[in-house]
Amino acid sequence: MELRKRVKLRPGIPTASMGDVAFLILIFFLTSTVFTKDKGLKMLLPEKTAEEDIVHVKPENIVMITINPAGEIKLKATGHEDYLPPGQYDEIKTVVETKLLERDTLLVVSLRTSKEAPYKSMVEVLDQLKLAKVTTSDGRELRANKISLIPTSEE
Amino acid sequence: MRKSIIRRRSRGSEIPTASTADIAFLLILFFMVTTVFRATTLRLNITLPQAKSTERILMRRNVSYIWVDINSKVYVDDNIVPKELVAAKMAPKIWENPELIAILNVDQSVAYGIVDVILDQLKEAKAFRITFAAEFRRS
Repeated sequence: MELRKRVKLRPGIPTASMGDVAFLILIFFLTSTVFTKDKGLKMLLPEKTAEEDIVHVKPENIVMITINPAGEIKLKATGHEDYLPPGQYDEIKTVVETKLLERDTLLVVSLRTSKEAPYKSMVEVLDQLKLAKVTTSDGRELRANKISLIPTSEE
Repeated sequence: MRKSIIRRRSRGSEIPTASTADIAFLLILFFMVTTVFRATTLRLNITLPQAKSTERILMRRNVSYIWVDINSKVYVDDNIVPKELVAAKMAPKIWENPELIAILNVDQSVAYGIVDVILDQLKEAKAFRITFAAEFRRS
């Protein structure tokens, strides 16, 4: 009598479901990935100051930008005065950059926006201020960080 | 005695289908858990202003949204809030998370006066870290 020979099965991990697993992982990451969609201009608001804490800034350290209700701009700094029509604010950057080199970290930009002015023009001016960047002769990078937002109302 | 020859049947190769149900159930559970139904759909008519120096906000957990639509209506995190009460709405959020960044999504044609009121309210609520949401401008 011939004994039935047991065929020795080699142990193995079934790989048929590999594809399923791969798809599952793919779908998981497809659904769970969220792309950052928030973007904008960062600002740090100042704390409310008491009357006696108010710092006085010398007029030569100030660049004053006034936006009127029509979105037109008056740019005023010592020895410089400019009127810019809406949508053509590119000059702000160059003026602020020259002032930065001149005044270093002391420079304060005062952004006076009329309450009736469109928000768009205020953001565009802020954009120009954020873009202003100079490198001093000793290699420091200067930006117009001190920006004060002041609302104005037409009488 | 008969010689028994066990004929080897050639078996066709097959993909085991026993676990298909498991996979299907897993998918069902996955989608059950991850699906979120929105009770209300906000239809906000907001066109953001454009700026070249737009940065990405990476901290998504520390974020609170303030929306101002074209009709100057103010929303804080999906709720309509009168603009004078933004501070009252924001103060508890700041208390919970002092690192909170308020993102202002304001329509580009809204008058600056409203933005100023909101900024003032945020100062009162001690929400000093803000972002003016803007679209990136190419050119």
